[in-house]
Amino acid sequence: MGIQLNEQWNNTMKNLTIMLSLVLSIFAGSALAKDTVLLDQTHAAKGVKCASCHGKEDRQAVPMLKCVQCHNTEKLAAKTADVKPVNPHNNRHFATETDCAKCHHVHQKSENLCVSCHPRFDLVTP
Amino acid sequence: MSKESKEIDQYTASVLQNGISRRTFLTRAAVGSSGLAFASLGMGSASAAPIQVGTEYGEIGGATLGFLPKPKPIADKDIATTQTFDVVVVGAGASGVPAALSARESGASVACLQKQAIPVSQGNTGSGIDLKNSDKSAIESLVSRLMADNAHRSHPGLLRQWAYNSGEAVNWVIDRVKQGGGQIVDQGTKPQHGIRGIADEGDRLNFVTSFCGPKPYTTGDAIRALAKTAEKAGVKFFFNTPAQQLIQDESGKVIGVIAQTRDGKYHKYLAKKGVILSSGDYQNNKAMCDFFIPELKNFERKQMDRTGDGFAMAYWAGGVIEPVGHTKMLHDFDAGPASMCDMPFLAVNRKGERFVNEKVEMSLMNNYLKDEQNAGHYSQVFDSDYMTQAKDWPGHLYSPEELKVYMPEEPGEKKGVYPSLTNTYSANTLEELAVKLECDPKTFVANVNRYNELCKKGKDEDFGKPASKMVPVLKPPFYGIHRRMRVSTICSGILVNENHQVLDADGKEIPGLFIVGNLGAGFYGGVDYPLTVFGLSLGRCYTFGYLAGKYVAKL
Ligand SMILES: Cc1cc2nc3c(=O)[nH]c(=O)nc-3n(C[C@H](O)[C@H](O)[C@H](O)COP(=O)(O)OP(=O)(O)OC[C@H]3O[C@@H](n4cnc5c(N)ncnc54)[C@H](O)[C@@H]3O)c2cc1C
Ligand code: HEC
Ligand code: HEC
Ligand code: HEC
Ligand code: HEC
Repeated sequence: MGIQLNEQWNNTMKNLTIMLSLVLSIFAGSALAKDTVLLDQTHAAKGVKCASCHGKEDRQAVPMLKCVQCHNTEKLAAKTADVKPVNPHNNRHFATETDCAKCHHVHQKSENLCVSCHPRFDLVTP
Repeated sequence: MSKESKEIDQYTASVLQNGISRRTFLTRAAVGSSGLAFASLGMGSASAAPIQVGTEYGEIGGATLGFLPKPKPIADKDIATTQTFDVVVVGAGASGVPAALSARESGASVACLQKQAIPVSQGNTGSGIDLKNSDKSAIESLVSRLMADNAHRSHPGLLRQWAYNSGEAVNWVIDRVKQGGGQIVDQGTKPQHGIRGIADEGDRLNFVTSFCGPKPYTTGDAIRALAKTAEKAGVKFFFNTPAQQLIQDESGKVIGVIAQTRDGKYHKYLAKKGVILSSGDYQNNKAMCDFFIPELKNFERKQMDRTGDGFAMAYWAGGVIEPVGHTKMLHDFDAGPASMCDMPFLAVNRKGERFVNEKVEMSLMNNYLKDEQNAGHYSQVFDSDYMTQAKDWPGHLYSPEELKVYMPEEPGEKKGVYPSLTNTYSANTLEELAVKLECDPKTFVANVNRYNELCKKGKDEDFGKPASKMVPVLKPPFYGIHRRMRVSTICSGILVNENHQVLDADGKEIPGLFIVGNLGAGFYGGVDYPLTVFGLSLGRCYTFGYLAGKYVAKL
């Protein structure tokens, strides 16, 4: 509901400032193993700027709509169609439109939405 | 219907007195000293308390309910688009899609707003009564039985509405799902094991039991097929468009909905005849669960995005939420065969301890497993003689060969099940089985030995299970079905009358506002959802969607 969303937004904005230093420190130690590489590094390596996600002026929260400006969900679903044990990008619950943030985090370790209910869906999320 | 002149029934009166509404406090105060004047509650007493400036959340007895946030005002300049329909349905699930299609078939223009990217619902079986092949006395016995199942806390009028209309409604759903290319069949009365003995000898009681399957096909897939039929008929669906708040005119009439799209923009959907809320339960809203059913704390959920949005919307429009003590549904039909879930084999909890008289049905087991460690987990355990020893038990046995589709360790394609949710194992030793069932082997073996001792004695001195059901676990291979009771749904909601119209705290209809599905009150009331009629939940959702759609379209 409106108010809850609003609160989330406020918290995110608070965190934005708190976390900034942490984010930068992650960037400093860049010699990490592949599976511990965070998405901020993956994106930075491909030339994606902070502003491409967070916007130019006051740094904004990053909703799914931002991700799908660069990642087409249909194509993504086709690309990972054969991923075992299950295609994370096309499922019976949300089809191709599962909120990316339910699995992918950009500055923190990503997680696996499916495993909590399907213990054998042991996906590793980049 | 002229509500004013009609005496308010016991159920409605009780919810008006004890439920949660914007004027709960006033109602309590008024009723408190003067005794319980049921009929007079229906009279136009004080109007709803005005929303106080600065009040941001719902309240009860002075306590703030953070899960009922007051909608923030959205200025007209922030509305990106406005569209007008006769009927606006909120939620494309088991009750919403039928409501939308039925309203459309009755001539209304219809919008259906859906929070998720696709229509979503769960389950396989939805039932109604085959009226032509049932005797009225038998139907009334069933209504009476359901009242008892519901701890006598439901509205008999609503149960009857299901009883006398569900055959027609379920047949309609079957036909329209087929038109959309869905997989659905009528299994008739055969799957209804739970109704035995309800009707008098010689009385007929028959069912239309719709089944969407076999698994992994579900009612969700069928509802998507139904939505195709609805779309063809002219219903306009808006996906990824969660409703945020209701729009009321000065008189309090609900005239539309404001929803938000993924780009953050707000849109108005005006409804000339009415808004039908069908947004389902609130299992994913922690604060709400902690308030209404605190014992759900340690259980996992089966659904996502069910945050009870419709509750807050209806509450702020003046609706009344059923008081604390909501009805829950926790099942696992998927770890092993559904037809063996109520067989009283030895059962052990997550530690490996026997914990109950196993005659307790699977649908009630959650009550013994509420703590953090067990969190709804238990295992049914039996040995290789089960085919002979349990052959007369309630349900239907799967042979060791048939059981293999439920065994994740068995190679090969699994048909008719959800492969990722199966959880049945076999092993040649008890220790090995314990490990597969995630129990402590020592505890498990000690408990099996104790149970075998009691079986030998023919007396269950620990839990009082009848001797005829005390069959020992002796002969390998041993079998275990590890079931996880998780929250399927919560089925208590907002007070409505028999037209599915929302009532305010005075018991008066709120013009323009209707509710179907699990968001609606009055159909349950017990601690747990009853399994007497298999598929009652979906059957009720289809039926009330079908009826409310028609009713609102004809206003
Ligand atoms: C795994 C499982 C198996 C089950 N099996 C059976 C069975 O075999 N038989 C049976 O009778 N019952 C079964 N049930 C219960 C049954 O599925 C539910 O009772 C039924 O689906 C409830 O229907 P509903 O229309 O109230 O809500 P739902 O079907 O849950 O639909 C609600 C819809 O509203 C949408 N929504 C929510 N908030 C908003 C909003 N703000 N704006 C717009 N849309 C919104 C949701 O996305 C959802 O699609 C099962 C449940 C589960 C979880
Ligand atoms: C400005 C464009 C852009 C935006 C916005 C963007 N990405 Fe990317 N993303 C890329 C590019 C470019 C790559 C590298 C090429 C590729 O894998 O597609 C990439 C790669 C990825 C990868 C693959 C990483 C790997 O290890 O293979 C993931 C996962 C991902 N993005 C997730 C996201 C999520 C989640 C968001 C939203 C929070 C997002 N992206 C927003 C451009 C973008
Ligand atoms: C259910 C969890 C989940 C969700 C939700 C999810 N992803 Fe992924 N994503 C994964 C996993 C797991 C992989 C790795 C797949 C593999 O093993 O190749 C992945 C891989 C990717 C990749 C790399 C694909 C490739 O092979 O090049 C991109 C890009 C990506 N995701 C973007 C997104 C975007 C954008 C969204 C939201 C629209 C999204 N993901 C939603 C789990 C998820
Ligand atoms: C691919 C899109 C993307 C890019 C590029 C990106 N961010 Fe973020 N950022 C996010 C998302 C999504 C979140 C929400 C938390 C998360 O997923 O880790 C976030 C959160 C944050 C936060 C708040 C941390 C928190 O957990 O709340 C800060 C601070 C931040 N970003 C800074 C940056 C900076 C600085 C850069 C450039 C170095 C950057 N971001 C680049 C997507 C992005
Ligand atoms: C909140 C619990 C929950 C989460 C999280 C969840 N599921 Fe499910 N899933 C279920 C339930 C319950 C079923 C049973 C059928 C139904 O209700 O649709 C199911 C069924 C399935 C099935 C069909 C059965 C099978 O075993 O093949 C697939 C495939 C599936 N889910 C994939 C996923 C994927 C992929 C994710 C992650 C994006 C996911 N699920 C996340 C609860 C969940």
